[in-house]
Amino acid sequence: MSTEPLIKVRDARKLFPVKSGKLFGGQQDYVHAVDGVDLDVRPGETLGLVGETGCGKSTLARCITRLYDLTSGTIEFDGQDISTLSRKEMRPVRREIQMIFQDPYGSLNPRRRVGSIIGDPFAIHNIVSGRERRVRVQELMERVGLNPEHYNRFPAEFSGGQRQRIGVARALALRPKVLVCDEPVSALDVSIQAQVLNLLIDLQDDFGLTYVFISHDLSVVRHVSDRIAVMYLGKIVETAPSEMLFELPRHPYTRALLSALPVADPDLADSRERVVLAGDIPSPVHPPSGCRFHTRCPRAQEDCVQIVPPTEPVLGDPPEHATACLHPLAAGEQLAGNRPTISDTELDDTSLDDLSRGKEASGS
Amino acid sequence: MALLEVRDLRVSFDTPDGVVRAVRGVSFEVDAGRTLAIVGESGSGKSVSTQTITGLTRGAKISGEAVFDGIDLLTADKAVLRELRGSRIAMIFQDALSALHPYYKVGWQIVEMIRAHDKSVSKDSARERAVELLRLVGIPNPEKRVDEYPHQFSGGMRQRAMIAMAMANDPVLLVADEPTTALDVTVQAQVLSVMAKLQEEFGTAIILITHDLGVVAQVADDVAVMYAGAVMEKAPRRELFYRPHHPYTEGLLNSLPAQGGGDMRLTPIPGAPPSLIGLGEGCPFAPRCPYAFDKCWAETPPLREVFGTDEHHSACWLPVDEEGRVQARRELESSREETA
Repeated sequence: MSTEPLIKVRDARKLFPVKSGKLFGGQQDYVHAVDGVDLDVRPGETLGLVGETGCGKSTLARCITRLYDLTSGTIEFDGQDISTLSRKEMRPVRREIQMIFQDPYGSLNPRRRVGSIIGDPFAIHNIVSGRERRVRVQELMERVGLNPEHYNRFPAEFSGGQRQRIGVARALALRPKVLVCDEPVSALDVSIQAQVLNLLIDLQDDFGLTYVFISHDLSVVRHVSDRIAVMYLGKIVETAPSEMLFELPRHPYTRALLSALPVADPDLADSRERVVLAGDIPSPVHPPSGCRFHTRCPRAQEDCVQIVPPTEPVLGDPPEHATACLHPLAAGEQLAGNRPTISDTELDDTSLDDLSRGKEASGS
Repeated sequence: MALLEVRDLRVSFDTPDGVVRAVRGVSFEVDAGRTLAIVGESGSGKSVSTQTITGLTRGAKISGEAVFDGIDLLTADKAVLRELRGSRIAMIFQDALSALHPYYKVGWQIVEMIRAHDKSVSKDSARERAVELLRLVGIPNPEKRVDEYPHQFSGGMRQRAMIAMAMANDPVLLVADEPTTALDVTVQAQVLSVMAKLQEEFGTAIILITHDLGVVAQVADDVAVMYAGAVMEKAPRRELFYRPHHPYTEGLLNSLPAQGGGDMRLTPIPGAPPSLIGLGEGCPFAPRCPYAFDKCWAETPPLREVFGTDEHHSACWLPVDEEGRVQARRELESSREETA
């Protein structure tokens, strides 16, 4: 695998303005959705991006595909900074980076026929038309496991799993280099989920695709990813090759996340360490100082409140395993025994008040 | 005798497209202090079954019986049912935001719940109980939180508030319909541990409806697997995971990404679930089943005792003894290798 990354995200920040509590004046507040992220995606790999609701993983994905513009920072694709390109300049780049969405119902126009939905990329980029386009679309349909004869059907005539295949076909139409998959199987039942995951794995082999794979389901991410980045409150707290992350998670948040993952194995479920984190995710409008996890971290010390931990390999870890923690876990060390030292559950008092205010503001 | 015994429950709905037979002869029982998990995919009838038992299905044709403490819930008087619901039988739902009333304070809603079933409780003592319940489910600062509105709670706290409300009258049976599905894993862990703690403390029986086999492995005592409106397999937790008999259960377990990497390609169940309109004779899983043979298409298999234990039941025509079942799997695997 080449070491030169295909996508290079540097110090990316995306802030969303929210209405402040006061009627007049007051300070403008921002949701810090993505707040200083460095990330490399190498050609041909699958990079998993995990984290809980509101951690900024979807925002980051939308910044990479330029559906959102960054507030600051850069995103390089194939050596070119695409974060400031104009719409027109962006066009050829869009052919290379495509996206698959979570909701197979919301992401397809219900009034348009499947054939024209999948054919859209050809029309927009003016590639093939007429009979030739139809042939290409039907090839795509066949490739993703749809019946090409269903070319003239509407999305409503397909099941959830089939709709997700339509989304995949549309994303593949232009033979992109990168597919950003935002929770591609979360809305599907397990038996169907496995079908779509297999399809994605096969397509990667066939077309040499690079995936950025976002999910809250760690077992799915582990299955498909070469490397995994864990996000918490707008920052990446740990990055490591998949198996390494599962075997030796260094960041207490990663450990807590892994331990909370339900496993379909009764004996394992009974025997393993389970860390139940206190409280909720703090507000991204006023994120905690220092390490953002310190309000819930069972290992937090005084310095965690002051110092923003650098992202670097823990002593003895290979360079590709980077952790942003001042007091990382050693191998075999238990986390469950630790009690929160800095704060207790009082803290989540302010938790989502700010956020819900922000949502109301953006909704009005 | 079991706390709740459901026998041959059938529920169908008339729709413009035809009669949807959502539940087709379901039987199960729950004992005090135990957790029965009902697993199944979308449309398997798991929610409809329990909603019918609690009297929440409208406009449906219902038959069978559901005996709770000597009372058949399906034929019981509305007033009797109303008295039971919320006191001895409580429910929690997936979407806590729509289950809580947005205009009323959380504490007020819990007080209402207590006083609706026992008028003799004063408002003040009901309020004290509400604070205590919120503390019990791990809501920080309950004295203050009791006077807040649902929108001021986070998702996990709302779910816990709903559990507090459900536990208000010390129910003996708690029906939890996908209680953690909308939650993040760390919050899910919080909610599941609250439920386990309450069960330990009060001996509540729980029916947990979920599609997540990981959650089942963690909290269930017994498991019923549903498909197309019928129970396919019923067994204690470890039996089901380590010695599944029904090919559908086996298929579900195989669809999951293995812990610790393993094979890159997953083994999905081919095809999609059948329509519940006009489903005829034969095993509903037969069209997707790799083991299916002639008999499966002709006759619907009943739920039979398998592996020589009266705890394990499976609705499948494959041999009921372990040796025969293992043999069937071996034959399937070798025929797969030949075609590969």
